[in-house]
Amino acid sequence: MSIEAALADWLPRQRWYADKGRALPSVKAELVATLQPGSPRLDLYVVHAHDDRYQVPLSFRAEADEQLAHAMVGEADGEFVYDAPQDPAVNGAWLRLMAAGESVAGVVFTGPDVVPDLPARPLSAEQSNTSLIYGDTYFLKLYRRLTDSPNPDLEVARALGEIGSAATVPALGWAEGAGSTLALMQPFVRNATDGWALALTSVRDLYAERDLHADEVGGDFAPESHRLGHLTATLHADLARALPARLSTAEESVGTAQMLRDRLAAGVAAVPELAPYAAAVEAAYTDVADCGEVPIQRIHGDFHLGQCMRTGEGWVVLDFEGEPARPLPERTALMSPLRDVAGMLRSFDYAARHLLADHPGRDQLIYRAVEWADRNRDAFCDGYASFAGVDPRESATLLRAFELDKAVYEVRYEASHRPTWLSIPLSGIERLVS
Amino acid sequence: MADPLWYKRAVFYEVLIRGFYDSNGDGTGDIRGITEKLDYLQWLGVDCIWLLPIYESPLRDGGYDISDFLKILPEFGDLGDFVNLVDAAHERGIRIVADLVMNHTSDQHPWFQASRSDPEGFYGDWYVWRNDDTEYSDARIIFVDTEKSNWTYDPVRGQYYWHRFFSHQPDLNYENPAVQDAMIEVLRFWLDLGIDGFRLDAVPYLYEAEGSNGENLPPTHDYLKRVRKEVDEKYEARVLLAEANQWPSDVVEYFGKGDECHMAFHFPLMPRIFMAARREQRYPISEILAQTPAIPDNCQWGIFLRNHDELTLEMVTDEERDYMYTEYAKDPRMKANIGIRRRLAPLLDNSRDLLELFTTLLLSLPGSPVLYYGDEIGMGDNIYLGDRDGVRTPMQWTGDRNGGFSRCDPARLYLPVLLDPVYGHQAVNVEAEMRNSTSLLWWTKRMIEVRKQYPVFGMGRFEELDASNPSVFAFLRSDEHQTVLCVNNLSRFPQPVELDLRRFEGSTPVEVVGRVHFPRVGELPYLLTMAGHGSYWFELIREET
Repeated sequence: MSIEAALADWLPRQRWYADKGRALPSVKAELVATLQPGSPRLDLYVVHAHDDRYQVPLSFRAEADEQLAHAMVGEADGEFVYDAPQDPAVNGAWLRLMAAGESVAGVVFTGPDVVPDLPARPLSAEQSNTSLIYGDTYFLKLYRRLTDSPNPDLEVARALGEIGSAATVPALGWAEGAGSTLALMQPFVRNATDGWALALTSVRDLYAERDLHADEVGGDFAPESHRLGHLTATLHADLARALPARLSTAEESVGTAQMLRDRLAAGVAAVPELAPYAAAVEAAYTDVADCGEVPIQRIHGDFHLGQCMRTGEGWVVLDFEGEPARPLPERTALMSPLRDVAGMLRSFDYAARHLLADHPGRDQLIYRAVEWADRNRDAFCDGYASFAGVDPRESATLLRAFELDKAVYEVRYEASHRPTWLSIPLSGIERLVS
Repeated sequence: MADPLWYKRAVFYEVLIRGFYDSNGDGTGDIRGITEKLDYLQWLGVDCIWLLPIYESPLRDGGYDISDFLKILPEFGDLGDFVNLVDAAHERGIRIVADLVMNHTSDQHPWFQASRSDPEGFYGDWYVWRNDDTEYSDARIIFVDTEKSNWTYDPVRGQYYWHRFFSHQPDLNYENPAVQDAMIEVLRFWLDLGIDGFRLDAVPYLYEAEGSNGENLPPTHDYLKRVRKEVDEKYEARVLLAEANQWPSDVVEYFGKGDECHMAFHFPLMPRIFMAARREQRYPISEILAQTPAIPDNCQWGIFLRNHDELTLEMVTDEERDYMYTEYAKDPRMKANIGIRRRLAPLLDNSRDLLELFTTLLLSLPGSPVLYYGDEIGMGDNIYLGDRDGVRTPMQWTGDRNGGFSRCDPARLYLPVLLDPVYGHQAVNVEAEMRNSTSLLWWTKRMIEVRKQYPVFGMGRFEELDASNPSVFAFLRSDEHQTVLCVNNLSRFPQPVELDLRRFEGSTPVEVVGRVHFPRVGELPYLLTMAGHGSYWFELIREET
């Protein structure tokens, strides 16, 4: 069996593989560099599958290793091939190469201040990338689906690190090659929980009380939302300081309105359930064209509760890749920071409602869910305004349009992935246009 | 009894003498009453009794207004009773510490009377006298409800005197060497009688200086270091416990380099525990512990869930106060009584699960636990008594008249015994709970016993663990010999949690109460399932294979 045949079989079964709906008869595997010679050997491949390129580091062993059975890719040319991040014999290589600042066959590793020789452990439960934690010190993200350099994740982490932003963690090391950013090393955020998991503890508490309002239950999340809003405003200020920011032109606002309408049309075409709201949504977009000059800058781009981590010291924002489904120029374009605000506001709506999808007390609890979402959306905006000086709710036209746009995206996503959740974004749209 | 670090392992028990046991039937608890109940405290596992003020006093501030440092308040007994208590306690391996107020006296104290009437005499300079009331204007007024200024005019002497607390409590002038020496003499007097230490009340305010807030000043620390030196030189294994209701990063100053106070209270921890359980997430606790600096090896925090005072928010930073108000004063169950003026059981809605969770945390977090009398049986409070008396009602010993606290006429009691159907003495009392082996009292006794089997709870390092679930608060207590893993579910719902225990790969977690062996730790995250408000203590035992 060739390595390409083994990969064609293995690739579609990986979580980070994007194109699961389509058959994958064959792939093209390109050996970029041997990152660690000897046995086991670490070879870095870029695999072309349909229109995408994936980073696939593989370890090659002369003999099969029982302990690594779960990470086996296949047998190729008399060698046993494993998913390298899971192979403890080779997964220290990235840290070592960054610390040494080495270049291997055009792959350039940078990491002037990282200290090598920490044991690595792969992180489970990852979606689009693969991560390794070195000791309790470093967090390494290996980008799987490659985009042309520079990856906004690295670009933003470096830019914010240079101005000492406390809103995120800095880039400590990185690897670039094959025309793409391959890896990013950051400090490991200890004892952290993402905002989604934390918000759900609050929602669960609310549902258990039934007769108490969202501001009365002990699990009230609003103070966290307030802090999160404050942090988001500092993040936007830091982004505007570290990277380009300006006022948009009136023509750009017209263009934004057109883009929103185009996405709506595509959504309606794909999901018939959206059709009854189309006219009302479109009406909400018309004023966007008249917004004229509005502040635009680099933003997070895929902002929701799950991108924010609560630690013992407070909140930090992670993951600046932007929405992975969108093309790179769109992800790095200057946009209104209200898009991030809208993303988070939608996230509160999701957090409040998603436990209700199959909840027996659903009808009674929807009222509570709306109350919880409103309370936390307000607290977030209050927190944002407390740093920014301007309240995002004052830009009602844009904020509502961006929320609707996000909800339209969610409708498309749920329709194809989780049809039972479709009511969450639909009811959000209904509320936004009513 | 010469273990110099005893206070790091000890379980403390705070006793309100007035409310514990009345030996002579006058309606007020007394020192002999405590002596009579020592067997109970020994049975419970108490290592050290902390007595609230025992001194002669006009009682305008709960005895914190002392009119003679060398006499016992007559209604509590006399020096003979006190010596008997110390001896009887020591026979049982129990130590005694008492409150002492160094900062000020009652205005009835002979020192003050002499000072005001004879400015040129020996005591003339023992208090802080000025011709006007303008100095030290940066020092805040602590009792804003009753006091307008930190200066009060004395018509007898015709001058203003300085007081950080009530106007009837003039501050002593520590600039005067005679005052410094006199207070050390007071300490020696009690140490010679066998007392094991002092809780030093209101220590941050001993000295004042223009242009400062008059708190935590360098000469205050210098004086406390001198006190420590004098105590260490002449006495063995005594303890100084600082009451500085300040932020932990400020309180650590009172440990010096291990050459000042042995212990200090960790004030913000308790409300954070309460908040964490209400929020069903660990971050309120994680945050405060992350902000707590390391302390010298021979020092220890005193930690508590409730005590005789209400929880005050005035001595914390503005930022923290804002946090406390937004996070927790808005809670309607707290708002009903401004601040926390309640006992533990009513605060927790009498939930046995929560009482156990909180007590488990108290017994396992870094510091020496301080129990408040009555909380071990789940006593309630009487919010209609006003001020802080609601949590100072008579200890409930039996279901008999006056809860077995006193044989006096009920009308003569210093405060009425609780009578309500949930917390009243007929429902909640020591006698009944001792007869029922599943009672809160027995549970508390057993957990104290378990704590004592693991010295790491007192002496070991503390390290919070990465837990996958924000509702679960997990940490290690460890030293070179022993590692105990504590896992607490702050949520009312059952929760799963994955812990990163890889560095203990090959070890077996053994649950410390039932000695049940759990699955061995492997290289994968360790999965535990927690009952609502449940907690586990595991000893991690490395088995040689």
